[in-house]
Amino acid sequence: MGGGGVGIPEEGGVKRKLISAIGVAGMMISLAACGGDNGDGGDKAGADGYAGQTLTVWVMDGSSPDQWQKDVAAAFEKKTKAKVKFEVQQWNGIQQKLTTALSEENPPDVFEIGNTQTPAYAKTGGLADLADLKNEIGGEWTASLNESSIFEGKQYAAPWYFANRVVLYNKKVWAEAGIKDTPKTRDEFYADLKQIGEKTDAEPIYLPGQNWYHFVGLTIGEGVQLVKEENGKYVSNLADPKVAAAMETYKKFQALSKAPKDKDEATPQQGEVFGKGNVGAFIGMGWEAGIAIKANPKIEKEIGYFTIPGATADKPEGVFLGGSNLAVAAGSQKQDLAKEFLRIALSDQYEGELAKLNGVIPNKEALQTNLKGNAVAEAAAPAAAGGGTTPLIPEWAAVENAPNPVKTYMTAVLNGKSPAEAAAQVEDEFNKRLAQQQ
Amino acid sequence: MKRSLFGRLWPNVTAVVLFIGFVFPVYWMFSTAFKPTGDIISENPVWFPTDVTFEHFERAIGVDHFWTYVTNSLIVTLCAVGLALVVALAGSFALARMRFKGRRGFVIGFMVAQMAPWEVMIIAMYMIVRDASMLNSLVPLTVFYMMMILPFTILTLRGFVAAVPRELEEAAMVDGCSRAQAFRKVILPLLAPGLMSTSLFGFITAWNEFPLVLVLNKEAEAQTLPLWLSSFQTAFGNDWGATMAASSLFAVPILILFVFLQRKAVSGLTAGAVKG
Amino acid sequence: MTVQTERPPSGPVDVTKRDESGLAGPRPRAAFRAGGLTPYLLLLPACAATVLLLGWPLVKDVLLSFQNLNMAQLIQHVTEWNGVDNYKEVLTGEDFWRVTLRSILFTAVNVALIMVAGALVGLLLARLGKRMRVLLLVGLVLAWAMPVVAATTVYQWLFAQRFGVVNWVLDKLGWHSMADYSWTSSQMSTFFVVTVLIVWMSIPFVAINLYAATTTIPSELYEAAALDGAGNWKSFTTVTLPFLRPFLYATTFLEIIWVFKAFVQVFTINGGGPDRLTEILPVYAYIEGVGNQHYGMGAAIAVLTILILLGLTAYYLRIVLKQEEDEL
Repeated sequence: MGGGGVGIPEEGGVKRKLISAIGVAGMMISLAACGGDNGDGGDKAGADGYAGQTLTVWVMDGSSPDQWQKDVAAAFEKKTKAKVKFEVQQWNGIQQKLTTALSEENPPDVFEIGNTQTPAYAKTGGLADLADLKNEIGGEWTASLNESSIFEGKQYAAPWYFANRVVLYNKKVWAEAGIKDTPKTRDEFYADLKQIGEKTDAEPIYLPGQNWYHFVGLTIGEGVQLVKEENGKYVSNLADPKVAAAMETYKKFQALSKAPKDKDEATPQQGEVFGKGNVGAFIGMGWEAGIAIKANPKIEKEIGYFTIPGATADKPEGVFLGGSNLAVAAGSQKQDLAKEFLRIALSDQYEGELAKLNGVIPNKEALQTNLKGNAVAEAAAPAAAGGGTTPLIPEWAAVENAPNPVKTYMTAVLNGKSPAEAAAQVEDEFNKRLAQQQ
Repeated sequence: MKRSLFGRLWPNVTAVVLFIGFVFPVYWMFSTAFKPTGDIISENPVWFPTDVTFEHFERAIGVDHFWTYVTNSLIVTLCAVGLALVVALAGSFALARMRFKGRRGFVIGFMVAQMAPWEVMIIAMYMIVRDASMLNSLVPLTVFYMMMILPFTILTLRGFVAAVPRELEEAAMVDGCSRAQAFRKVILPLLAPGLMSTSLFGFITAWNEFPLVLVLNKEAEAQTLPLWLSSFQTAFGNDWGATMAASSLFAVPILILFVFLQRKAVSGLTAGAVKG
Repeated sequence: MTVQTERPPSGPVDVTKRDESGLAGPRPRAAFRAGGLTPYLLLLPACAATVLLLGWPLVKDVLLSFQNLNMAQLIQHVTEWNGVDNYKEVLTGEDFWRVTLRSILFTAVNVALIMVAGALVGLLLARLGKRMRVLLLVGLVLAWAMPVVAATTVYQWLFAQRFGVVNWVLDKLGWHSMADYSWTSSQMSTFFVVTVLIVWMSIPFVAINLYAATTTIPSELYEAAALDGAGNWKSFTTVTLPFLRPFLYATTFLEIIWVFKAFVQVFTINGGGPDRLTEILPVYAYIEGVGNQHYGMGAAIAVLTILILLGLTAYYLRIVLKQEEDEL
């Protein structure tokens, strides 16, 4: 299946008919409803708009601030007369929940989906084709950010926001340890943390054993992927010495933390731990500061941000370029309304607002002006250029299901196994998942 | 009978040690819930909460939809137990008091039914409920919970029914009662302790269930307390004060029920389990 | 809550039998035969519920086990039969057999611990004075009444790596390497925590019921044994044990079922980890099926799990079968 999707240059009726001939059910619904619409916003629902309807939108925990939700809901209601209900989801177990939800009569109409998970869901047929929306509003979407939304040439989601991890630190603790400046290299960073450990009561860094996004970042910094292609099949690349080198770096820093070696950054939320005020730093998303502040409002003025330092001062650490797309469920009964929502949520105004509030990278370069003066964004930006993701292949999503073999690998190394042993230990499981029948 | 001092002492000492072993986790749950965070996260445990706080409870109750969960849990659990008792009473009476072809098959059947590992069949149950358009409803939960406790209830009640002296029933029938009347007037009152101790088991099972409700009901309006407790735990993993407060709140209804029914249940035990 | 033994648990079996033979033959018989359909009608709701609510999911599960059912098929409601592929894959892989063996060992160890410790505590209850007995009963009832979801949470806190009271005590007892020990870091330590939890929750049921059972042993039996010159141990083996045998069988049966299915405890404490080393069959089925979104495979493992459980309890079911036969 090649034709369609991203290759639709104009919004002509001919092209539309062509697509509908392909016959994907969800797509037909969406196109049929777009009837005589010329893409000018689609106010075709009559004078009453969509009064009385409610659109359900799933967003992940922490990804969109309350303020943004409120503003978007108000704009949405004003334009469509319909209501929007945001439901906050946890990352843990999200795939299981999303899969069943997409099979139901009333799936969430619009939902946030992680960029690494998007290809797998695109392949299931659970996501509606958004080709016309892309034509209408997606002309300026940054191509590299849009990559995960395209599967076999079709547009299955819309890029929403992107972010990479930074170091969040407690200025008070650092001052107490007598550190004046933020570190520029990995070694300086390590030395600073050591100093905190020696001169203060605080835990220098909170780094649980399974913050695997940070680990992926380190592997990207080493210039290596976790997966390689062998005879047309994807297999584990954990045994690569560069992966081992990344893991050694992780281990070195983890040794400074009292955080559990077999938990990830969400159990407990590392922001919560940091919020208690007795932790020097942690590696996380900028918005995780919000969690800390919610737990302890007094911490707000102490929080600072800096780029994760790399091996040398001229090149920051590699980072995982996390991101989320917004997708519409193919089974949603409210395809038009869902697209109305996307038009509003992804409009320059609200996309810009999200970037500003959360310090995340917006889906258009032009909107990056919103990040001026934003401490988080300024700390994140230098590393973003060298960022990367896990391979954007449908096979990947299964790897992220608990128990994630990458996490198992990390814990094994932290508990004393050599990286090679640990890699050998989890390889079977890793390969099994990559080869899992779909 | 005379025993040495040691002979008299060791059972009591053992009993005290065991008592501490069994009570301590429960005690620790409640005491942690009432302690200020500083006392919880301290290098040396604070054994007795001196400076009692309710902040953890406020946090646990302050979660959105908390009271919805409470109501749902109560509705589902009580309905499931009630239904199971009614259905089981009829069945157990037949099994304990009547002779008919295939009785043995029924008994074995319920014993096998009792073994059902529900957690592994969840996706099948999910698909059935989904295809019947009954998701996000308390009805499937109630009937499935009823089924989870039904076999045990039938088999246990059967023991209690059998333990009611048959002469009493017959005497009533000689006095002109119908069989149904004899059942209602004679057997049922005698069964009260049995019903209570059986329902206790059912209540615990239904109150605790979470893998099924997790898959069936995605909307908070139709979720129950175990989900609240487990999600609370994920989100506030190391906030042991709040987690223990939530656990305490979750355990309290069962503990109260036990205290309330304890005398009846335990004497019911003696009567039902062994006496003729 | 009580134990159903294989016969109506009226300790001395002959009570029931005496009822029947003791009363003048024909009259009660007539009364009991009245309405040949009555027993079936009375059993109808229970049977209907079982067929509908247990039988149907079971059949559905068996059907799913012959399908290739993953994310795409579930979402699009597509049925893709794949014959016995799932079974082939499960049965030819090492994982399944390893998990099965682990499950059986896990069940055996836990049930043995529960039954021995439970019986000892039950016998201790019978020996204690009234006050101490009430004290111990209170302790047992509290542990018994703890809902499993709350109990697993509490155990996580007791065994927490940092600030967990267990590590603190071990440290103070001179075991300093345990001061910051992570109980979830290895297979054995995870199983240790799970076992302590399960044994702790299960002993009260066995102990209290066993105690209740011992109170009904007619004292004449002991007197007779004493006359024959039996000592404590002898009278225990010749009187107490035989009297309690049906009860012990029934309880063991229940404990096997409950421990084998201890999904919540194992799953909540460490999710079957580390490295999937503490998965028992129900957890394995759940992780492969629901967790890994390999639903057909999960269904096949579920079917096999049920068969194994039936196998484990077959011995007891056979006893029941014979017993019921004798009674008819």
